[in-house]
Amino acid sequence: MEDRLRRYEKIEFLGEGQFATVYKARDTHSDNIVAVKKIKIGSRADAKDGIHRTALREIKLLQELHHQNIIGLLDVFGHMSNVSLVFDFMDYDMEVVIKDTSIVLSPANIKSYMLQTLQGLEYLHNNWILHRDLKPNNLLVNSEGILKIGDFGLAKFFGSPNRVYTHQVVTRWYRAPELLYGARMYGTSVDIWALGCILAELLLRVPFLPGETDLDQLTRIFSVMGTPTEESWPGLTLLQDYIQFKPMPSQPLRHIFSAAGDDLLHLISSLLTVNPLGRCTCEQALQMEYFSNKPAPTPGPQLPLPSSINRKQEERPSLKRKLLDAVDGGSLAKKLIF
Amino acid sequence: MLSRGSMKDVIDVMQLQQSKGREFPPVKYKDRINNFTGARFIFECGLKLNAQPLTIASAAVLFHRFFREADMNLYDPYLFGATALYLAGKSKDDPLKLRDVMNVSHNTLNRNAPPLELNSDYWNLRDSIVQAELLLMRMLRFEVTPEYPHKYMFHYLKSLQGWFEADQWRRIPLAKASIAFLQDFHLDSAVLDYSPQHVALACIGLALQCYGVTVPLTNECDGPFWYSVFAEDLNKDKMWEIMEKIMAVYDKETEVPT
Repeated sequence: MEDRLRRYEKIEFLGEGQFATVYKARDTHSDNIVAVKKIKIGSRADAKDGIHRTALREIKLLQELHHQNIIGLLDVFGHMSNVSLVFDFMDYDMEVVIKDTSIVLSPANIKSYMLQTLQGLEYLHNNWILHRDLKPNNLLVNSEGILKIGDFGLAKFFGSPNRVYTHQVVTRWYRAPELLYGARMYGTSVDIWALGCILAELLLRVPFLPGETDLDQLTRIFSVMGTPTEESWPGLTLLQDYIQFKPMPSQPLRHIFSAAGDDLLHLISSLLTVNPLGRCTCEQALQMEYFSNKPAPTPGPQLPLPSSINRKQEERPSLKRKLLDAVDGGSLAKKLIF
Repeated sequence: MLSRGSMKDVIDVMQLQQSKGREFPPVKYKDRINNFTGARFIFECGLKLNAQPLTIASAAVLFHRFFREADMNLYDPYLFGATALYLAGKSKDDPLKLRDVMNVSHNTLNRNAPPLELNSDYWNLRDSIVQAELLLMRMLRFEVTPEYPHKYMFHYLKSLQGWFEADQWRRIPLAKASIAFLQDFHLDSAVLDYSPQHVALACIGLALQCYGVTVPLTNECDGPFWYSVFAEDLNKDKMWEIMEKIMAVYDKETEVPT
């Protein structure tokens, strides 16, 4: 165990969440850069409950998952009274890309992100796993342009510019209508919906359905997609938290996504079908013409890098300065990277 | 090999269970410490805590795996029994409250003792469990979710159901007996020695023997047997070896101090 502790050389502090602290580190065995997530155990003196369930879930799920587009859990080790998880190091996440106004996302770039996300998600779903918290900042990308789905509803971003981005708020915008209606039984369709919202956000560069409350979220969904009825969604009125909304017509998607071609509009409408049973699966989505039509998805290494990453690379020799910047809240993005 | 002797054993076990009825005198766990009493302790606490059977089985597996590595004279089996139960609850998404686990395990060890007071003893015990959990996970290299025979058993039974008349299937509690054997087999650390598929098949095989029902390919001399289709690598000797180990659990049950 002592050996493992020395194996990973701390490089810098990346972020802190409720249950964990994350460091960037070097694996001295392979010389790879990794992210080490140290789980706090029983840190709250009033309730020592041992290892947190979410961390345990992460360990047990990720130990069995191995896919190019899923974050890799490389190692787990314990030292003293804590547990550390070692992950692939990822340079940035999709939220950074979406918000970076200096980046132009070409249709080929978007296709590449969607393709990689769908392949990762298809693998998850094929292994009977629902992600349940897909959002742009859980889609992580490394400098080679490989996108990996990360989990971690655990870690809140350290030094996030505004505290409004609490877990619930961010998550709500990607919540499927059946969840908002209190469905207790749901399936892979909840992840598909979130993916639809992410795709829309990649195109619009702002959150597609930024509801302020759960009710507002439903209103926003229905004002775009039309209010569902028993005919369009059988069983709708039986859902636990069902409430009648005033009938609203659906808006043509081509008015909202004016730059999107027919093949892309077809994908969006299949991902954002209000009736969960009518929503497509990952497999169906991947078979759609959008992915075989031109333009071809951008190869990973050619995907745009956020300006913060570019700058970081120029500054690489002076590690000390970077750490100083991080402390006084300098201009570098202190994103929790995974 | 199949012999009249072992057949008789099976039936004896069933009679033993029936004659015992529902009365189980309280076990004095502190009087004997071994793998079996440790697992028995997990079962009793788990039942009292209303834990799911799979949670209890999972806790027993964690417990047996831990004590394959660790010396029982150095680590308190009941502390680790309680810890295994608590950890299994978390990893199986059947969460048990730590305070409940502590109170139930304390009361099971010290019958009729009053509930734990919120004093330093309480906090020390709580801390012990938290530390034990960490040690347990590290000893098991964080592999806390092994494969369980339960899911295989479900599918095997579902496939076998086709050989029975609907009425016969309802009348003979084959599934119930199989699942009971499977659960009870987790009392013995021998459950770790066989693949989940083989354990599931042996439990079903034992249930078939108990109720004297047969499916095609039961009495062949050298296969294929009814279970060959589920597990090609399971031969007759292995099958009977596991079934005998399952039966041995019921002998061990009679030996616990009460």
